[in-house]
Amino acid sequence: MTGPGMISDTPIAGAPAPEAAEAAETAGPVLSVEGLSTEFRTAAGIARAVDGLSFELRRGEILAIVGESGSGKSVTSLSIMGLIPDPPGRIAGGRVMFGGQDLTRLGEREMQRLRGDGISMIFQEPMTSLNPVLSIGRQMTEGIMHHLGLGPAEARARAIEMMRRVSIPAPESRLGAYPHQFSGGMLQRIMIAIAMSCHPRVLIADEPTTALDVTIQAQILDLMREMRDSTGTSIILITHDMGVVAETADRVVVMYCGRKIEEAGVRDLFARPRHPYTRGLLGALPVLGQAGAVGSGALSEIPGVVPALTALPAGCRFSDRCALATERCRAEPPPLEEPAPGHRVACWHADAAEAGA
Amino acid sequence: MARYLLQRVFAAILTVFVTTIAVSMLIHLVPGDPVQIMYAQSQGTTPEQLEEVRARLGLDRPLVEQYVTYIGRVLQGDLGHTIRGEQPVLELLLLRLPNTLVLASAALLIAATIGMTLGFVAAYKRGTWIDTVLMTTAILGVSMPHFWLGLILLFYFAVQLQWFPVAGNGIENLVLPAVTLGLTNAAIIARLTRSSMIDIFDQDFIRTAHAKGLPKAVVLSRHALRAGLVPIVTMIGLQFTYMMGGAIVVENVFGWNGVGRMAIQAIFQRDYPLIQGFILMFAVVVVTVSLLMDLIYAWLDPRIRR
Repeated sequence: MTGPGMISDTPIAGAPAPEAAEAAETAGPVLSVEGLSTEFRTAAGIARAVDGLSFELRRGEILAIVGESGSGKSVTSLSIMGLIPDPPGRIAGGRVMFGGQDLTRLGEREMQRLRGDGISMIFQEPMTSLNPVLSIGRQMTEGIMHHLGLGPAEARARAIEMMRRVSIPAPESRLGAYPHQFSGGMLQRIMIAIAMSCHPRVLIADEPTTALDVTIQAQILDLMREMRDSTGTSIILITHDMGVVAETADRVVVMYCGRKIEEAGVRDLFARPRHPYTRGLLGALPVLGQAGAVGSGALSEIPGVVPALTALPAGCRFSDRCALATERCRAEPPPLEEPAPGHRVACWHADAAEAGA
Repeated sequence: MARYLLQRVFAAILTVFVTTIAVSMLIHLVPGDPVQIMYAQSQGTTPEQLEEVRARLGLDRPLVEQYVTYIGRVLQGDLGHTIRGEQPVLELLLLRLPNTLVLASAALLIAATIGMTLGFVAAYKRGTWIDTVLMTTAILGVSMPHFWLGLILLFYFAVQLQWFPVAGNGIENLVLPAVTLGLTNAAIIARLTRSSMIDIFDQDFIRTAHAKGLPKAVVLSRHALRAGLVPIVTMIGLQFTYMMGGAIVVENVFGWNGVGRMAIQAIFQRDYPLIQGFILMFAVVVVTVSLLMDLIYAWLDPRIRR
């Protein structure tokens, strides 16, 4: 998908990030989420948007978290960042381990030191994610000055370097420009430049390409991969788009109603999806030159809608929409099992689902 | 930017031009003979004298000719002479205008400071008892007529406590009228600031600013307040023109020697040239202020300048 001029061929300036070196020494995951639960108080009762979620993010990997709207993937990212609006939200349980610390126990001040520095984030709508009344230069340098302790001139130089790395043409002259003077794709490049400017160990990208044209999407995904390759930054890519997953991710976590229902390497997942929901997601994906990925000729869709978080089924949360659902599915939530190394799934009929492929 | 400026200036000139038409025809809105009404209060005016005044004011000419004569004079800075005392209208107005501008500006300063502070706090504490108390007070403030609040303040602070003089034109006399005029407008600004800031707090770019790890104070001031300022400044600009209007009432309550007080006297005395001059000057002030506001927007919001 790489086109001409999409990736900057500028050599990577500056020394490798000290954080990256440190992470390599300690091996193990860069970030691990353990039994995370995040709740929101709503008029209809307490909604547990994320329920006992666990996953690990390895060094230098791109981990995709996939699910429909309401599956809890964005709440997961905001929970890691400590940006859940409280009230009405709160982290009800679990840990987020990063650099030997549990982020859920850190105070606001310590989290501020970490945000944009150790862990940074980009969002879905680049057009609205930058402040319309502040210049790009100001928005780029403020984080650099704050976290790296640089003076205005050095911060400016760093901003220009970062803009060059994300292929913004003539960065020196663009620092004084405002967001409305850029296209969506350019703004997302700038967001990535801002997010990467303080050498983060983890970049969380929440639907980074959803608001962009398809051709621009590919460029942004290429850019993120290129950033990972050159800096070793691990990326959590949050998306609902299986095409984006196939193109970018190393491993995939599939979420449904706040729970992880399947986890696997990207090749494994696409070749052998075990959960009926994952298979449904893949079935909704058009495949070129093939009459539908999963059996039927038409593009399939998953019947029904995601149930409300305040009125979840007692057993498997997907049971209401699942063709394979039995009495047991409706009564008893399936445990997460590991039928193959590195491939986890929570379904009573995972074998049957695979056999039906 | 130059084009934007030219557009604004052109619009301002057009507004004043339209006002001159309305003002020059104003005298004909009076039922009956304007000259007789003007002189109804003075005794011993003969019909010949009235005829002479009519000729001097050009009221015996066709309307178009009256207007052309009027605009010709206005362009030369001649707003005519008052009926009483035959004083040049422009000079009289310019003598008193600074007093009114001082009053309105002081009131605006009070209104903007109090209104923006309380509105910002209410937005930040939205949904809490602080928000409720502030906004209830603001509704009270909005509903309070100037003359009534003015009298209450006069009675309490000038008559009972004697902290301030009842009337006069010194700096110590400025406090009560400016507070009167400022408080009711502060309430309006507070309500607008609150809704504007609540809107801004929910914007994506505020989340981005938090995600960058900036301290809360920086997010609130540099990112939120700065972005919310455009609608607030618009409202403050509008408020200034309302304050000029409010000044007419407040000046009379407190005996502040501004153009508003003179305008009321002119109305009671049916002094048409003075009333006309007052309205025209008022229009010029309002247009100038809104032109100034347009410039401030362009400075505050890069999307407006192009």
